[in-house]
Amino acid sequence: MSGEPAIAASALSKDYGSGRGLFELDLEVRPGEIFGFLGPNGAGKSTTMRLLLDLIRPTSGSARVLGLDTRRESIEIRRRIGFLPGDLALYPKLSGRVVLDHLAQLRGGVDRRVRDSLAERFGADLDRPVRQLSTGNRQKLGLIQAFMHEPELLILDEPIAGLDPLVQQSFHTLLREVSAQGRTVFLSSHTLSEVERVTDRLAILRQGRLVVVDSLENLRRVAVQRLEIEFAEHVDAGEFRGLPGVKEVDAVGRTVTIGFEGSADAVVKAAAAHEVRAIRPREEDLEDIFLSYYRKSAE
Amino acid sequence: MSLSVTRLTLRLRLTSTVSAAVGLVVVMLVVGALFPAVGDTIGKLDIPTSVANLLGGADYGTITGWFRSEIAVIYAPLVIGALAITGASTAIAGEEEERILALVLAHPIRRSRLVVAKAAAIAVIVLIIGFAVWVGLIAGVAVGGGGITVAHITALAVQLVFFGFAVGALALALGAGTGRRSLAAGGAAAIAIVGWLVNSFAPLVSGIAWLRYVSLFYYYAGHDPLTRGIGATGIVVLGIVALALTAAAVVSFERRDLRV
Repeated sequence: MSGEPAIAASALSKDYGSGRGLFELDLEVRPGEIFGFLGPNGAGKSTTMRLLLDLIRPTSGSARVLGLDTRRESIEIRRRIGFLPGDLALYPKLSGRVVLDHLAQLRGGVDRRVRDSLAERFGADLDRPVRQLSTGNRQKLGLIQAFMHEPELLILDEPIAGLDPLVQQSFHTLLREVSAQGRTVFLSSHTLSEVERVTDRLAILRQGRLVVVDSLENLRRVAVQRLEIEFAEHVDAGEFRGLPGVKEVDAVGRTVTIGFEGSADAVVKAAAAHEVRAIRPREEDLEDIFLSYYRKSAE
Repeated sequence: MSLSVTRLTLRLRLTSTVSAAVGLVVVMLVVGALFPAVGDTIGKLDIPTSVANLLGGADYGTITGWFRSEIAVIYAPLVIGALAITGASTAIAGEEEERILALVLAHPIRRSRLVVAKAAAIAVIVLIIGFAVWVGLIAGVAVGGGGITVAHITALAVQLVFFGFAVGALALALGAGTGRRSLAAGGAAAIAIVGWLVNSFAPLVSGIAWLRYVSLFYYYAGHDPLTRGIGATGIVVLGIVALALTAAAVVSFERRDLRV
């Protein structure tokens, strides 16, 4: 695979008016990575994906997918990618098998063994009409059609929606295999914990604008950290408020939880003035990072 | 064109098409069986010209007039129009509203090929209905005692098929241009019905008689194919309209955003 970005957006915009849409998106997704695209509903995630697939056209800016222009070379792009739309809809009267056969024919045929092994892996029912399937079982068909031709790039809009935990696990394993093969995954979610487990890097989008792009590790580093300190006796939580970097202090009984940015030095030294039974770092989860970026960009 | 898209579109509409085709044949057999009794009774009624025009002349005293009034002017165009409009408005706008096209067009198929493949499926549906009308008329006329040549029956069926192509293309163009199924179906149906009324009433009012020339219905039935055979002008006009509207569907669908 070449070093060319799998996805490169340059000032990509789609203005729907009234502040809705996507604005000046600059984004690069590297080949072989699993890239998470985060944001709440209406943030512009699906709009970005539709622009990449030429389902809708940009108001301004441009994008390249696998080195190809999304407007002029869309057919070649679509040949080489797999796409799962958010809010997936399939022909309700037809069975999963017929739908997958049809979609395979639109690609000029796919290896049936790959399709069948994906169906087995996800436990998909290919014989019942789509309208009789639950949301999760329909989503499995969506995942199979996106992966069955072994594309170089997968663009997945809310792929985990409706999947039960076991299937989610199979899906995550599949993503890692795909990534290990050097293929790229660009997936969106507003359920942060789902993305946290699989992404190499992520972007956070808010109201159509990119807030941040970084690795999870780096995002954690700059985000608010928390220490949970259990004292031998009751300690006045007010002692910690006002210390350099401290953002929030919460006390329950003899345990004080302190959220701070930067160095822990001031917090640890203040705590050392008392008998400390235990210090537990609280694992920062993506939700907190996400919300902290939201707060920052809203300010 | 994509054969796979055409096949799937046909598959989705096969039940309704075959049901309508069988229903048409049965109705025409019944209409034929009724003729001997009708010809001697209401066939002798004096019907006002305006009503008679709506009914294609309302000449119930001859088998040609009877089938013209019952089948050629009302029932056959109604069925072929309904199936063509429903099929065409669902094919693009319907699938778009149901969000199915967002997945289909993520595959390597050009929008133009998709529209042409859908148009081909609608054309096949129209041909099936046209064939049913042909078979039904031959059988119905035989049951009614004969009196219309196979050539004239064929002329009506051919004229009807081209009418179906034009009406279907109209719904396809409206659907492809707007992505709204109800607008496509309602707009095409309204234009077809207004065309039928204009063709019936315009000749009665001096000064607006020319209006019938803008009615698709005129190019289907104005020549009276059951009596006079194929009307080449009508076929050519309906054919050109169908092709032009399909081309308009392709161009407008290529240019716009998918409504997703």
